[in-house]
Amino acid sequence: MMSEQLPLSGVRVADFTWVWAGPFCTLQLAHLGAEVIRIESESRLCVTRRIPPVADEEAGPNRCGYFNQYNQGKHSICLDLKKPEGLDIAKKLVAASDIVAENFAAGVMDRMDLGYDTLKAMKPDIIMIALSGYGATGPESPYVSYGPAQVPMSGLASMTGFPDFPPMSVGFSYGDPNGGLHGAFAVLAALMHRARTGEGQYIDLSQWETSVALVGEGIMAQEMNGAAPQRMGNRDPYMAPHGLFRCQGEDRWVSIVVADDAEWQQLCAAMGKTDLAKDARFATLADRKDNEDALEAAVTDWTTTLSAEEVTRTLQATGLAAFPAITNKELAEDEHLHSRPFFTRLEHPEVGVRQHAGVPWNFSDTPCQVRRPAPCLGQDTEDVLQRVLGYSADEVAALKDNEVLT
Amino acid sequence: MSELPDPQTPGPLHGIRVVECGHMVAAAYAGKLMADLGAEVIKVEEPGGDRARQRGPYPENIPHPEKSGLFLYLNTNKRGVTLDLETVKGRELFQRLVKDADVVVHNYHPTQLASLGLEYEALAQYNPNLVLTSISPFGQTGPHREYTAHDLTMWSAGGIVFLGGAGGRPDLPPLKAAGQQAGFQAGVNAGIASLGALYARLSTGRGQHIDISVQECLVAIMENNYIAWPYDQTTPSRLGFRLIPQDVLPCRDGYIYVLAVEEHQWQNAVELMGNPDWANTELFQGFLSRSVNWDALKALLEDWLQDKSVHEVYHGAQQRRVPFAPVSTMGDLLKSEHLNARGFFAEIGHPEAGTLRYPGAPFKFAASPWTLRSPAPCLGQHNAEVYCGQLGLAPEELQSLQATKVI
Repeated sequence: MMSEQLPLSGVRVADFTWVWAGPFCTLQLAHLGAEVIRIESESRLCVTRRIPPVADEEAGPNRCGYFNQYNQGKHSICLDLKKPEGLDIAKKLVAASDIVAENFAAGVMDRMDLGYDTLKAMKPDIIMIALSGYGATGPESPYVSYGPAQVPMSGLASMTGFPDFPPMSVGFSYGDPNGGLHGAFAVLAALMHRARTGEGQYIDLSQWETSVALVGEGIMAQEMNGAAPQRMGNRDPYMAPHGLFRCQGEDRWVSIVVADDAEWQQLCAAMGKTDLAKDARFATLADRKDNEDALEAAVTDWTTTLSAEEVTRTLQATGLAAFPAITNKELAEDEHLHSRPFFTRLEHPEVGVRQHAGVPWNFSDTPCQVRRPAPCLGQDTEDVLQRVLGYSADEVAALKDNEVLT
Repeated sequence: MSELPDPQTPGPLHGIRVVECGHMVAAAYAGKLMADLGAEVIKVEEPGGDRARQRGPYPENIPHPEKSGLFLYLNTNKRGVTLDLETVKGRELFQRLVKDADVVVHNYHPTQLASLGLEYEALAQYNPNLVLTSISPFGQTGPHREYTAHDLTMWSAGGIVFLGGAGGRPDLPPLKAAGQQAGFQAGVNAGIASLGALYARLSTGRGQHIDISVQECLVAIMENNYIAWPYDQTTPSRLGFRLIPQDVLPCRDGYIYVLAVEEHQWQNAVELMGNPDWANTELFQGFLSRSVNWDALKALLEDWLQDKSVHEVYHGAQQRRVPFAPVSTMGDLLKSEHLNARGFFAEIGHPEAGTLRYPGAPFKFAASPWTLRSPAPCLGQHNAEVYCGQLGLAPEELQSLQATKVI
């Protein structure tokens, strides 16, 4: 039921974020029921309103999959922040909000006269989060950062890859959603603090640092032994077999993990290979690690005769961990995900019903779900000015005439 | 070095009581996020210990359950007790811990919950205001709920592994990210959901159960890679065309990540390279051409980079607003002038593992800081403190629990 209480019902977010990490932070808050109002501009369209995928090969700011995925449940207003009236509206919106989120490079909000001290004067208990690449302080804080750079910068790339190859990326801009998620966690903690003390505060989040948080074991290895783990492809020092194995079909693979010696015996039985079960080269973890090329070849001999789904069913039936290297099409059609139900299918005015990824948490008492599709550019400008900020229809019309709401 | 906050300053989650149990990364990272912001987290381990203790890195590579770098990192600021939840007495003690808790977060598999007494209905009897956050590979419902999983198979099930790997090498398999990334992502999602439910409780007065599927947490972070299917029926993979020219390229002393999204960034990069003639050829005009002709461009960039240091290319590029980045090693990070100026690494001693630097605050709170107050607990380190001090057991009872291997 749409009328039910949600965790952040009554919490308003003035969302100055754009592109990747920031909008993913505020998406989590929207999922939890906050009223998230994105401040956009026609002259400075969010990158995600400009890039593929676009619906039915027809471009347009409201037709991009990326924007429509990362901005579900939010509102959009257009303001020209270079005009004094536009800036004034932005400040009034902050005064009516609980949270301000932004992910410009360090110092940009200050230069627009929307820095924390200014906003705190408007709303003493405001919670403000800045999600920048490098953080608000430190010698490299003015540097330019894009999310994909966080994988190499954090050291994750240096440990990811096949032996004898250079460091590799992880296939997507991991630093962005990860920074956004850590940002959402931080905002919620600040809300709990405000509930207890009445005090708001400024949160300085560095995407670089939130990415280093994901490689803690590497930092510890360096501290302990002066050396980090080597690139080892899909292998693992403590488990073997541990990898992706080729299956029937073009570029089809299945992941398989065997946790211990007993599971190795289980795998041999599941594969119907009694000779491998007795093979001394593979008896213990140490043996399997010593002969891992031969081990993987033996498993591949079996997997290449089957589909990735058949391997998965066979192994999961005996309690072994296996799953196909699933594609986006298979995710979209996945019976299990549909049963949860994970996907949302809401009517969007320009692209119709598209199957979006939804909320990854099921709450039993305050069920979080996407309540409205991503906003068209500026669709909520009039509503927010009148309903939230108390402008009259005439005042809004005058602002429109003066091209403030663009 | 910036000054570290006073560890006595209460964090934003001061006063929140959390019980955490399970193995490895997901529940432990959720617990760590809360503990590092001031929550009182009790980590309940099976008498044999969290399986993360059995994974390194270890000093001098000698396995020791109190010296696992993974465990030490994931369990800062927590108190640790041991308890066998499969015994009647263990169950009873756990219920008493739950009575005093605001949140229980765990990552036991759905098939284990009945025998461990971790079902919501069972725990809510003892504490109706409890927030119970259950993390599992595929969630508590649906045809795959009983599937077994490890980090690699989840990265695969979330659709992410299909994106990673060596472009142009269909002979090599898709590639996972290093470490335990599925666990970390599930952990931060569990942290968000737990705090969301605590905030809801402030107005509803009720606790609730949160079911978190690791698979869904991963599908949600794929950026435009999932949504490409519903929007334009394309399937991105490691072998596909990359719209944005970017790569990891070798310098004389390491690797640099090159990226120039905007035209002015590329022009500035050309200037940094001393305006070579090849940059003016038709092949490299506009980022689409540079993407299509990336192999040729890459060779030219490699030629230019081969006698340069990572440091000079990185700072030279950034001074021209070009977003190149170093491909850091772990050693580079620990030496980073920037990270150290922000006071990112936090040092603390541990009775067995000694004094080490840890990754520190991933976010800086102006009023209620992230703090490192205590190292990860040794196995059962706080049994007496918690069972006798908090739950009021007599010392003889504690001995009897030890003798019967309940703790």
